[in-house]
Amino acid sequence: MTSFKENMKKGISKIIIIITALLLLSILLLTGCSGIFYVPGASYGYYIWEENNDIFVEWSVDRKDAKFDGRLSTDGAITSYKLKEWEEANDIISIGENSIDFSATLASRDYSDGFSFSVQDYTYLEFDLKINDGYDLSRINLGSFLENPENTIFRIGKSYFDQLKMRPWYQKHPFSEFFHKLFSNKYFTFLHIFVLGIIIIEILRVTIFSRRKRKLFLMMLSYAGLAVIEVAIYFLLKFFNS
Amino acid sequence: MKRFFEKIGSSIVTKEVFEDKKSLRSLYRYFLIGLLIRLGFLPFFFQRDLLSTYQRAAETINTGNFGFDNIQIFTNIIHSAYLVIIRLIFPAINQLFPVLLEKDTWTSWIGFISNNNVFTALTLFKLPYLIFDMACMFLILRLAFDGEPEKKLRVFKYWIFNPLVIFVLYIFARHDIIAIAVTLAALLLAKKDRKYWAIVVLIFGIALRFFPILILPLFIFYLVRNKRDYIILSLIGVFGLTGLELFMHFYFDKSIILPLLNSEHFDYFFSSKLELISHDRIFIFAAVYIVIILSFLHIKKKSFDLLINYGAIVYLTYISLCYFHPQYVLWTVPFLVIASVRRKSLLYYQWIQFALLMVILIYWGNLITTFVFAPIDHKFFINLTGPIPIIERFYDSAKFVNIFRSIFTGVSMWMVYLIYKDNKKLRETGSGGDKL
Repeated sequence: MTSFKENMKKGISKIIIIITALLLLSILLLTGCSGIFYVPGASYGYYIWEENNDIFVEWSVDRKDAKFDGRLSTDGAITSYKLKEWEEANDIISIGENSIDFSATLASRDYSDGFSFSVQDYTYLEFDLKINDGYDLSRINLGSFLENPENTIFRIGKSYFDQLKMRPWYQKHPFSEFFHKLFSNKYFTFLHIFVLGIIIIEILRVTIFSRRKRKLFLMMLSYAGLAVIEVAIYFLLKFFNS
Repeated sequence: MKRFFEKIGSSIVTKEVFEDKKSLRSLYRYFLIGLLIRLGFLPFFFQRDLLSTYQRAAETINTGNFGFDNIQIFTNIIHSAYLVIIRLIFPAINQLFPVLLEKDTWTSWIGFISNNNVFTALTLFKLPYLIFDMACMFLILRLAFDGEPEKKLRVFKYWIFNPLVIFVLYIFARHDIIAIAVTLAALLLAKKDRKYWAIVVLIFGIALRFFPILILPLFIFYLVRNKRDYIILSLIGVFGLTGLELFMHFYFDKSIILPLLNSEHFDYFFSSKLELISHDRIFIFAAVYIVIILSFLHIKKKSFDLLINYGAIVYLTYISLCYFHPQYVLWTVPFLVIASVRRKSLLYYQWIQFALLMVILIYWGNLITTFVFAPIDHKFFINLTGPIPIIERFYDSAKFVNIFRSIFTGVSMWMVYLIYKDNKKLRETGSGGDKL
């Protein structure tokens, strides 16, 4: 019989794990989530990425019963493959020379499944991925979070993942839409920044400038600085949205 | 001219603060920093209920039916009138109007957050809350510590940097601040011994947001001086509510009291219960509430400071023992910021309450966690894995949240105890807190 003390210890360590996971998740999100990141048993969807020339296809659901099946084909040759957390009883995979067919299920205690493979001499990879016998493209993450395909059966070229890595942070979610909204609503954006700027200058005036001799000059300099910031933000937003 | 502006300044920030130049400068600095924080959050975040509030207002404008939201009719009228004005001035709001009229909640929400004008709309939608928040800042200055500008300044500082105020109004975007401003006005009238007006204004506050009803008995017991007062104040209360009900009945053919009594919000008062045998059960909050009211009733010399402290006790007890929505915690703030000046540890406990609330609220799911950030990038935040599935992956999420809920209750009850201790000192010496 486990003692109360042991149970307490277990409980506390679980809470610490959760808090660490949440912190880790927020750090990854704040840093722009440059790679693909998902929490097995919590995240929902397909996650596809390239690592050391191997292609990884994994899927996860938030501890509900779900079926993931699909087909992957290429004009190259599949030379090797590895399965991840594959349950022989429920999950089926058939590997051909240039195609892979799979069907797998997840449940409350089966957090995620997947496979990885090496492919040579190929120009494209074609995917046909389903969740619960239907298509949900917003749940297919290609190379990074929310890089979703546009068609139900989609192809990616050999250099797709390299191109994706080269894409700057401001063209990725959530920054891309945020900057787009700020720029499409530019009158509001600049008015808002201007008001915030005035308040900051006023704070500086009553705290720092009031003790200095050249108050007026510092004020004028601050407003000039604010004007420069406004112009710089305009060009920056224009560049981000180009 | 100078005298005129001095008079205005003095009437805004109180005479004591205005005449103490050091306090005045600090107050201005706090005000600016507070305003900066508020404006920083204004355009970017909201919880779905803000949209519902303006959807009801849009429906009211569209149909001309002012009794559309009969539970919060006055709140709806305020939002409807404001929406009419901003719709006339800002084309962005006019463009969003069909989205507000959309009946399907998911479609309207997606239409709103994905709209390029969402930041303008959110700023305008939340602007009245900023105005009422500012009204509260200056009303609360007047409620305590007359002749003590430094303490008044601390009240102002604790309000303006209060995390709950900033969170509920500018991130969560709920309208409770309107009723809180009215309640503070009623408290000020009570302090100035305008007893009948105080009750009338408080009843208006109740019509706005029901919660001031919890301090109505305290108000009556504080304001009555003789039997005649009991009769008049009770009549104001009874006729006020009856008049409101009749007005609603004849004008809109709807009841206001019955839906309120049957609403789930009213049931929250009875959410904690002690099951006895068969049908017999004790509603814990109701029982404790009666104890609080009776303890106030039996105080011979009821000072205004005691009324404020009892207000804090009532609302802290409510959030300790009842099911609540995050914005309801805001009702504790006006009373606690004043009590915190007497006992600074209450301020730290308020920060702890806020931190715990941030954990407790995740159980409501994506709607009030990830979706709050959806205006920034709707696709990103809708698809983002919320905290509940992550917690559920390792531990029972309800149990996890309830551990924090229990700590929250413990902290809140400890705060009640600290205020109760202050009450005893207040009764003995006329002032309470750390420095006694």
